[in-house]
Amino acid sequence: MNMVLLSVDGVECRYGSVKILENVSLSVKEGDFVGILGPNGSGKTTLLKSISRTLKPYKGTILLDKTDIYSMKSVDLAKHMAIVPQESNIGFGFAALDIVLMGRNPHMKRFQMESEKDMAIVRKAMNRTNTWYLADRPINELSGGEKQRVVIARALAQEPKVLLLDEPLTHLDMINQLEIMDLVKGLCHTERLIVLTVIHDLNLAARYCNSALLLKDRKVFAVGTLDEVLTSKNIKSVFQVDAIVKKSLVTNSLYVIPLSPQKPSLARKCAIHIICGAGTGTLIMKALVDEGYEVTAGVLNMLDTDYESAELLKIPTVNEAPFSPITEQTKRANLEMINKAAMLVITSVPFGYGNLPNLETSLEAVKRGVRTYVIDEVPIEVRDFTGGKATALMAELRKHGAIFIKHPSELPTLVNATHDLMELRKHAQTEIPGHLKNEPKAITEPTGRKEPR
Amino acid sequence: MTDKVESKYSKRSSRWKLILLLLIVALVVAIIFCLNIGFAPISFSDILTILGKQIPILNRSINSSAVSTVNETIILQIRLPRVLAGALVGAGLAAAGVMYQGVFRNPMADSYLLGASAGASFGYTLAAIYAGSLALNFFGFGIFQIVAFVGAVLTVFLVYFMSRVGNKVPIATLLLSGIVVNIFILALQTVFELRSGKALIGIVAWIAGGFTNITWTNIYAVFPFVLIGTVLAYFFTKDLNMLAMGDDTAQHLGVNTERVRQIMLLTGSLITGAVVSISGVIGFVGLIIPHMTRLVIGPDHRILLPTSAIVGGIFLMLCDSLARIATGASELPVGVITALAGTPFFIYLLRKRKTIYSL
Repeated sequence: MNMVLLSVDGVECRYGSVKILENVSLSVKEGDFVGILGPNGSGKTTLLKSISRTLKPYKGTILLDKTDIYSMKSVDLAKHMAIVPQESNIGFGFAALDIVLMGRNPHMKRFQMESEKDMAIVRKAMNRTNTWYLADRPINELSGGEKQRVVIARALAQEPKVLLLDEPLTHLDMINQLEIMDLVKGLCHTERLIVLTVIHDLNLAARYCNSALLLKDRKVFAVGTLDEVLTSKNIKSVFQVDAIVKKSLVTNSLYVIPLSPQKPSLARKCAIHIICGAGTGTLIMKALVDEGYEVTAGVLNMLDTDYESAELLKIPTVNEAPFSPITEQTKRANLEMINKAAMLVITSVPFGYGNLPNLETSLEAVKRGVRTYVIDEVPIEVRDFTGGKATALMAELRKHGAIFIKHPSELPTLVNATHDLMELRKHAQTEIPGHLKNEPKAITEPTGRKEPR
Repeated sequence: MTDKVESKYSKRSSRWKLILLLLIVALVVAIIFCLNIGFAPISFSDILTILGKQIPILNRSINSSAVSTVNETIILQIRLPRVLAGALVGAGLAAAGVMYQGVFRNPMADSYLLGASAGASFGYTLAAIYAGSLALNFFGFGIFQIVAFVGAVLTVFLVYFMSRVGNKVPIATLLLSGIVVNIFILALQTVFELRSGKALIGIVAWIAGGFTNITWTNIYAVFPFVLIGTVLAYFFTKDLNMLAMGDDTAQHLGVNTERVRQIMLLTGSLITGAVVSISGVIGFVGLIIPHMTRLVIGPDHRILLPTSAIVGGIFLMLCDSLARIATGASELPVGVITALAGTPFFIYLLRKRKTIYSL
């Protein structure tokens, strides 16, 4: 069995004396679909250029079937390798069919017109890419997706063994992105092509490629299967982005959820506990983490959306078994956690008998003087499934000084103000006369926010 | 619909041959028509008889007793060389224009952009000032022609090597160098003209372009350049098509872009140098005829190059005939006619097209 192999060995590229790619090695066999990943300026396109013979490496070799591609004539290489460029600088006025027929050039003699055989190959390539119906349309009148499919058809008409794509999805909408990737994946499989693509969309890479090369600072950072390469740790080190990587049950491939780029942490040394559930706390947890607070949450049932979010955000939680009511034990654990926090936030979570203990815990905390914010986005009457018990507890909370706000977006500002005032008070403790310290409302409460009783 | 497309493509080769055949017929008709134009009235039948007599085998069956020898001399020694020169120069300029535009993917590129006209003019000026009396003849080129030809070709080469960066010649650098060298040489030319203070009228008239003193030797000298150059370029028309996709893509389709560019530049500048040396600087043809032809028959260089050449030939020939008769005794420079006649037609073609036109 004769396997076609593309091997990149110790390639270093330079522009003048500046290194733009260092010591890249890679070996790809037929039927492989390799995604070249990495941030802007990491050398992805440079690597593709050196493999496509556009930029001769300063050091290292690129072998296709044991032949150095830089020792081949361009017409011979074109019989084995086709390139789909980033943005096709397309010849004005040529019909789509003309463009695809150009793919036959490396197989034709200088004075030859296209033969029946060439025409058959071109027709097959265009049927394969679903572009035959565009055959006599001028290329400049086609849409981005159609154009890209025509260019892929031209590449196929070259009957290559290697197909290189440089960000083939730029400027394409979702359906076109999926169609192009489906097409390339299919070709890779049926024609046993070696496919290398520079791609920015990690999710599409994870879904279609079967291996990946991750570049960072012009060097290979990781190479291997998607599971090996696409980890949140790698994404964090290469892209400086916190990301959640999970396996989708629908596509059976990894998907990446990028969180905000890492901010210089304000490191507010202050803990905030959140009582939430059913997804009502996710955005709030994320916002408070971003603000630099130490966030805790509970009691949460395992498998609850907010539980999963807390796991992803690495937030400590007090947990209860899935679909189970809160026991005395977890209730106590939760109270202990709240006691360590400077503030308490209660989201607009619906209350039933299962999580009613959370409200009871909250009331205790409020009574002990824990600054408490209740997000009252949905009236409690609507989300009270305890026959009025939760509503009554809410009223108690209000009576004991919990602050009710209408929308979660108001929360960070309030929390920050409270935090700053607390800090102020802590530092000022020695100077402030005793009688002032005993009037916490005057200092700790943001003015005009308290709900009238 | 798709089967229609395929049959259209399979018949394309024969369609192209038909187009070329029709254009050649048009060229012959135009030649005969132009031979008829002039102060001495010579009938078409006389013209055909005189021409027929020149063709071997056919001449045996032609009775030329009715045609006066004066008319024969006018047709064969005065009008025919001039008409053919118009056709040759027009064809050469248009073919070179196609090559330059194709190679540079630039609609503004023409045979003069890289300095061919400036170089030729400067050469001619130097010859007029310093070597006007030199009776040199080299394969049918007089001293003026030789110097103009050398000037044109040298300038293009100067521009080309000036723009070379390492192994490559970036298009933008090349065009910019061309423009700068053009300006520089024109400035030099002005200095020489003003210092010498003589032969100015002749130089100005030559630079304006025209076919007043064309002889058969001129035709013999220029014909091989235009013919061989165009045929050579035809071998590279498929490469020009792929160059329209950009250098990288052309390379990936197996085109040796740098070599194609060098060959096209060399060929184009040799053709331009040769035709400019006998006609002076005639603008418009090299720039506009390729565009006009592209608007009508499309961008494929395999048909664009030969049709442009023939259309350019017919166009310049007709313009020159107009120039001969337009204002009676004193001739209009043919460059004036080409611009006046060509522009409205070009604008018409441009407007007729629904979509935006670009190269």
